[in-house]
Amino acid sequence: MDIGFSAEEQRFREECRDWLHSNVPDERRPLDAADALEFDKAWQRRLFDAGWAGINWPAEYGGRGFSIVQQVIWLEEYAKAKAPWIGANFVGVNHGGPTLIANATDEQKAFHLPRILKAEAIWCQGFSEPGAGSDLAGIKTRGRVEGNELVVNGSKIWTSFAHVADYQELVLRTEEGSERHSGLSWVICDMHAPGITVRPIRKMSGMTEFCEVFYDDVRIPIENVVGGLGNGWTVAMSTLSFERGTGFIADQVKQAQEVEDLIETATGNGMIGDNRIAEELAQLRAEVAAARAMTYRNISEVEKRGQPGPEASVIRVFTSELGRRIETMGVRLMGEEMLDFRYGDDDQVQDYLRGFASTIAGGSSQIQRNIIGERMLGLPRSR
Amino acid sequence: MDLTPNDEQEALRFATIAWLEGNMPLAEARNRAPTLWSGMKEMGWLEMTRPEMGLDHATEALIFAELGRFLAPVAALSTAVAARWTGLLDKVAVALRGHVLDTVGTTSALGLFDGKAGLIEFAAESATHGLDLSTLQVRLDEMPSPSLIDEPLAALHFRLLAAAYGVGCAEAAGDMATEYAKVREQFGKPIGSFQAIKHICADMAVRSQVARSQLYYAACALDAGDADTAFYVAAAKRLADQAALENGRANIQVHGGIGMTDEAQPHLPLKRAHLLQFVAPVETADLL
Ligand SMILES: Cc1cc2nc3c(=O)[nH]c(=O)nc-3n(C[C@H](O)[C@H](O)[C@H](O)COP(=O)(O)OP(=O)(O)OC[C@H]3O[C@@H](n4cnc5c(N)ncnc54)[C@H](O)[C@@H]3O)c2cc1C
Repeated sequence: MDIGFSAEEQRFREECRDWLHSNVPDERRPLDAADALEFDKAWQRRLFDAGWAGINWPAEYGGRGFSIVQQVIWLEEYAKAKAPWIGANFVGVNHGGPTLIANATDEQKAFHLPRILKAEAIWCQGFSEPGAGSDLAGIKTRGRVEGNELVVNGSKIWTSFAHVADYQELVLRTEEGSERHSGLSWVICDMHAPGITVRPIRKMSGMTEFCEVFYDDVRIPIENVVGGLGNGWTVAMSTLSFERGTGFIADQVKQAQEVEDLIETATGNGMIGDNRIAEELAQLRAEVAAARAMTYRNISEVEKRGQPGPEASVIRVFTSELGRRIETMGVRLMGEEMLDFRYGDDDQVQDYLRGFASTIAGGSSQIQRNIIGERMLGLPRSR
Repeated sequence: MDLTPNDEQEALRFATIAWLEGNMPLAEARNRAPTLWSGMKEMGWLEMTRPEMGLDHATEALIFAELGRFLAPVAALSTAVAARWTGLLDKVAVALRGHVLDTVGTTSALGLFDGKAGLIEFAAESATHGLDLSTLQVRLDEMPSPSLIDEPLAALHFRLLAAAYGVGCAEAAGDMATEYAKVREQFGKPIGSFQAIKHICADMAVRSQVARSQLYYAACALDAGDADTAFYVAAAKRLADQAALENGRANIQVHGGIGMTDEAQPHLPLKRAHLLQFVAPVETADLL
């Protein structure tokens, strides 16, 4: 075992650092939706032009095809350089594109993949419904097969970036009378198609980043199905594995940076003199170190054995709950100043309110604990 | 960068487990055979990182985590550190602030004194069992002044090995709880099918994984001479102590009434965890 990087990897790190140093924009990502979209697109385009887009995509689809160790290095440098959050390109780049690469036809890939990488097309994820959140197999949105089209009716909710998206990963029930995991399909849905209504939902942080989406006789060509009609569950699981994939690497590096910033703040305002604060900061610092160690361990595992096992859920539970505690410490250090928060402010309170998502979205902490208990520890199923 | 054991290390680990299962079952933690110490010595664990052995701290940490899982004698920690940094090959007990632990067959002990590793001499006559039923201890009203080991890494080494024991102890408690949750039935099904129990077990697994990961990182940092080694080792020890204590308590809860008995095993890892927290303890300042 060792924690060192090879000379080649070190050189690669330098390369990342140099490019980021001279290209990371000075301004923060705007909060206004339209401005944020422009910002996200411009940044993604810049990454693409310099050859940094799609770090985990195979080169034949325009990506960089980085090894997982290179991805870690890139993401570490990315976080250190305080480079922008991927924003509206998240779904397309991190899981829409990878799902297409793994499951789509050559035509589908040739059309969509370059558009995603160049930020010419924004994607969103239409999985969750009012009645199907943690229990994804409870999906009710229907697609009736009519000739060579699907006629879609129903609704989705919590769809991040639906209000700015061009395409959607839409999972719906295409087999009349089917239940649970069978009879579902994963479809590329054109968000500009007639019959789609998007209603943005404001979060408790004041931001409108997710939406309700209604489908009223929306017609989707059947050739937009990915991975075959009725195979939606399998394709959706591959999407989730990408979504939950290496995302934690970026989070974990960012968390380390945030804890250092908090220690600086607490030292600056004297609150570190309070033993309880000092104790909690020390604890957070130890835990973010462990989060990195876990990430490295997981990556080594993936390199050696291919896929990560259910241990990914261990990292997920740990880092998401750690993130929540870091954000809680952030507002604790603000004291009464927290009360001056208004919608539109981009500060610790914004991070704190937004951060609740990390233990809910993409499989809540409770669901992750079920996975750890059942798939890793072999405890009997609860249902 | 690679934070997983290689094939050689895995083979060594499995050989260790096989020996421990045969010679040092956890169930007999309070009745260790007198010949156990010489057996451990023969296995080479007590001087693994002496320069002529050519083994690194990462390998040693792996093995000591297994020893910790079986609640092995704590003097293995101090003896291994003394062997590495002083060349002393005899058994060395563990010195805390007011106690000396695992005192049979020795009159010297190693501990931390103002953050530095040092050796003391003590009189062993009055050794008794305390909270941790697997460890004989002596109470010292006054600590003799130590002869300090002139090597700052000795203290980190000691803390690292204590962290490894903590990781093993945490895993022992977690495994015990999970196994019990699979077989104990109430309301017509295994209690492990109830989420309230399942999630306790999941949390134990998370704590163990967190502590084990940091242990690996810290061991590698020590091997590499990383500038922040002291912090990484302190973090490993802190997280291992917490995992061992919290898993120790949770294990008893999962067992219900039987978990509170003297006869059953769940109290053994908990009591060991309480002992380990005083071995090379970590202060807030070590982490900030
Ligand atoms: C910020 C944000 C962005 C999102 N973006 C998207 C998106 O772009 N696309 C998309 O499709 N979805 C998105 N989601 C939805 C997300 O996937 C769901 O919120 C999540 O799966 C939980 O579903 P739910 O909200 O219906 O909560 P529920 O499933 O109703 O859960 C409520 C509570 O019950 C618990 N619970 C549920 N089932 C169990 C169980 N079996 N055992 C124990 N506890 C249980 C949960 O842990 C939770 O605490 C987003 C969510 C958030 C917060």
